Amino acid sequence: MSAQLYFLVIGAIAVAVPVLVLWRERQRGLNENLLEGAEETSPPFGGDPVTSELSARIFDPEDSEFVAGETSRQTARSFRRQRAVLALDWLGEVRKEVNLLMRAHRRAARDNPDLTPADELKLGFEFLLFQVTTGTLYLVIWLVGPLHAARLVGYSLELAGQLRKLSEDILPAGTRVAVELLDIEPQAKN
Amino acid sequence: MQGELKHEDVEAARRDLEYRTLAKIGGDFARLIYLASMRDYNTGEYHHEGLARQFSESLARKALASCHQEVFRRLVLCSVRELVEELEIYARLNESTFRVWEKLQPYTVTVPLQCSPLTARFFALNVRVALAILQSRQRRAHPDPRSASPRQ
Repeated sequence: MSAQLYFLVIGAIAVAVPVLVLWRERQRGLNENLLEGAEETSPPFGGDPVTSELSARIFDPEDSEFVAGETSRQTARSFRRQRAVLALDWLGEVRKEVNLLMRAHRRAARDNPDLTPADELKLGFEFLLFQVTTGTLYLVIWLVGPLHAARLVGYSLELAGQLRKLSEDILPAGTRVAVELLDIEPQAKN
Repeated sequence: MQGELKHEDVEAARRDLEYRTLAKIGGDFARLIYLASMRDYNTGEYHHEGLARQFSESLARKALASCHQEVFRRLVLCSVRELVEELEIYARLNESTFRVWEKLQPYTVTVPLQCSPLTARFFALNVRVALAILQSRQRRAHPDPRSASPRQ
């Protein structure tokens, strides 16, 4: 396989995975809404504040290193695999919260005459960046595990925080619907 | 009193619980087990006779729920190394714990009601691996001469 073809395949995968993840979550979100009704008003991570703090631990290499030093290779491998599954689920939760926030923003924005296209474009761009970053993060975790993704996690959480702030700044207080959905502090920056 | 609970009253009940009861229990894991056992499996509501008598039923419930969440939060956010230490403290008090825990996995019912499924799974994984580490240490310290089975 030539080098060009190799890069083309890698590039195609890098683009396809975030799109696929986005599409899957959108489908899942639609199905959940159909089954459970509108859940836009639910608090972040189902009301559990600890879940938003979990990222620091899920992506911290300390636990895996400790487990590898204390148990058999098989147990350590199983632990790493299960941590990767948890990391992917955690990421799915963060994306779900941001998607809910954007949906709520869109609904509130429809009836708001004070919105400026520039602000909306900025928000849209940040949202796109967030989707690409978390899609890449999904791919990285899936391929090499959560331990190598810590820096990208910090960046994704920063973007999620920016999205929340932007959404709050753009919409006047009276028309805010559920911007309090996200209360995420970037923690995993190691 | 039933409708609105004052924050200061809940705090007072909480402090009382921490000072009189929880401080005397060795280690966070034992505290977690104790607090979870104060909860009715069917209703999810906490009950503590003495605390309810001193404050009120609803204040006692609130204080117990709050302490339960706090202890659980500490344990779920600590490292596996720290969790192993906590379990070691707990095992010193309860000798046959691990053999039974491996089968029954009672730690899965110690999570507070507000805990998300993701957090609960994270906690269960950490406890399982911490137990595996402790058993592995025990085997190394006291090898069984009859069985030459390899580490799992």
